[in-house]
Amino acid sequence: MKLNYLFPSKYKKIGWMIFYPTLIFGLMTVILDFEPEFLDINVFGVFIDEIIGEKKLIGIINNNILNEILGLLMIIGSILVAFSKEVDEDEFISKIRLESLVWATYMNFGILFLAFIFVYDLSFLWVMIFNMFTILIFFIIRFNWQIRKFRKIEEL
Amino acid sequence: MKNTIKVERAKNNITQAKLAELANVTRQTINAMELGKYAPSTILSLKLASIFKVEVSEIFTLEESDWE
Repeated sequence: MKLNYLFPSKYKKIGWMIFYPTLIFGLMTVILDFEPEFLDINVFGVFIDEIIGEKKLIGIINNNILNEILGLLMIIGSILVAFSKEVDEDEFISKIRLESLVWATYMNFGILFLAFIFVYDLSFLWVMIFNMFTILIFFIIRFNWQIRKFRKIEEL
Repeated sequence: MKNTIKVERAKNNITQAKLAELANVTRQTINAMELGKYAPSTILSLKLASIFKVEVSEIFTLEESDWE
């Protein structure tokens, strides 16, 4: 009965400590097009299909790994923030969690739906990049907002 | 679903916070149930009945709208 696929509550704080710096630094690197040279390294890859180059099923490829690092940190941070238990997690909080997840999914795919109709070419690539993370970000915003409201309920 | 949690609480002279502690849920969950905004799980219903030493059916009753 206790199975709920959530992390212990202490991981939420760790999640925030990864989430915020990664989000801010990540947005900065996107805006400033920042790719430090020392992170240009040869890495192992699969399904290689370079714009100018060859196609290979597996191989070694030269790549700036900053976006890979930030992407992975973003996934770890947002998963921990989103899916760590509240200290006092109970069945009503689980209900808020579920409703927030449904809301975030609608929101995420609603925006993607509009983007399919109105956004093209390179701009759509940006939509795809952001859309990888927005479902969890929308969930985090909605859930924490609802929990804050929940905690403000006064005793009758 | 209607419930008499508030009445039972008054009879037993315990606060929402105390009941929450006994049932191992948040105080807000007790509050939401009393306001009819939340229908508890079977386990929580049984716990509440056990705390008040009554039958579950004495606390919770179906309403017409529950059949719709």
